[in-house]
Amino acid sequence: MKKLILLTVINLLWSTTLFAAGTQYNLRVDGLSCPFCAYGIEKKLIKTEGVASVTFDLEKGLIKVKVGEGVILTEAQLKRLVDDAGFTLRSMSKQFL
Amino acid sequence: MGVLFLSLRRARGLYGSLLFSASFQLCAAPVTFNTALPVSRGEGVVRVQVKYLSATTDPGDMNRALTVKALPLVAAWGATSRWTLFGIMPLYDKTMKHDMPSGRRKRSVKGLGDVTTMVRYTAYSQDQPGRTFRIAPFAGIEMPTGKENEQDMFGQLPGALQLGAGAWNPLVGIVTTAQSLKQEWGFSASYKFNNEANNFEHGDEARLELSYHQRVWVRVPADSSSLPHFLYVGVESNWVWQSENQNNGQQNPDSGGATFYLAPTLQYITHRTVADIALQLPVVQNLNGNALEQDFIFTLSLRLNY
Repeated sequence: MKKLILLTVINLLWSTTLFAAGTQYNLRVDGLSCPFCAYGIEKKLIKTEGVASVTFDLEKGLIKVKVGEGVILTEAQLKRLVDDAGFTLRSMSKQFL
Repeated sequence: MGVLFLSLRRARGLYGSLLFSASFQLCAAPVTFNTALPVSRGEGVVRVQVKYLSATTDPGDMNRALTVKALPLVAAWGATSRWTLFGIMPLYDKTMKHDMPSGRRKRSVKGLGDVTTMVRYTAYSQDQPGRTFRIAPFAGIEMPTGKENEQDMFGQLPGALQLGAGAWNPLVGIVTTAQSLKQEWGFSASYKFNNEANNFEHGDEARLELSYHQRVWVRVPADSSSLPHFLYVGVESNWVWQSENQNNGQQNPDSGGATFYLAPTLQYITHRTVADIALQLPVVQNLNGNALEQDFIFTLSLRLNY
């Protein structure tokens, strides 16, 4: 019985971790030369459904976008979003968390 | 009365070149003129400026002194990633003092000036990691929303003290911006075609402007966005030329000329706000006739992303 409870708890914890984990999109964006301008992209990303957080590394021109489990952002969607903000999407990569 | 009439007519011309325009810039950019940096599609930026102009060096014998306090409110909206629309609504508080045979006279006026609408198009952009270079022509029109027939106890105010020009005045220009995270260069050239209203026409105005900003300090806030705060120091130059005004079709020889300003600037930028300050000093004033010379223009402004 104890083993069963332990297995159930482990299974639950594993599932929770799995469901909590999402995806991180790493966007290489050219033209980001000041924080005031970059806020235009941040606003658009934050408004996008499923986006959990957005962090910037202006020196590298890198934006990390974390989304929840099951949320998928397409390259076309991200390119349009970056274009609308007035910048250039150089490349993107995706990593599962 | 004849002397008074003449002096007011001359004053109308003498102050023409003292009208200063609101600057439209939005991002980390020149304080005293425009920028080519982007406004996101569907997003807006507002800017509130406080300007103070002092002109007290009178080459004539009227010992004139002019002060203008202005509060230009600027709103910008990104129609697309390349097209940006601007609206500039200036509020003025102008005071002129000058000697008369009866003693020192003070005349003043307050209220809404001429509203300007403008559109800017990003014709060329080259983006690289942490830097951008853009060229953007712009065009707009100054509308006669300010009163041009204000009076006080001495009669109708001279043209320069009026809140508006009374005419529809188109303007065109081009601005380029080269910006990296550490430095920024800006250049702008513009021309405003001033038209006649009520038998008076301000001279056309041409401007050539150049700026350089150097980042001197970075602060990384603890919040999650990780967008840093920047402090820039800069120097800006503005060359402003105005042709002679016309009264009833006659050129006023005491109006127009050229002024070259140098301005030290300080600018603090966060992701939501830009606060900046500039002091424009007219280092060269080559004005026509007895046109009143300026002392300085002080600008304090705050921009907000919304």
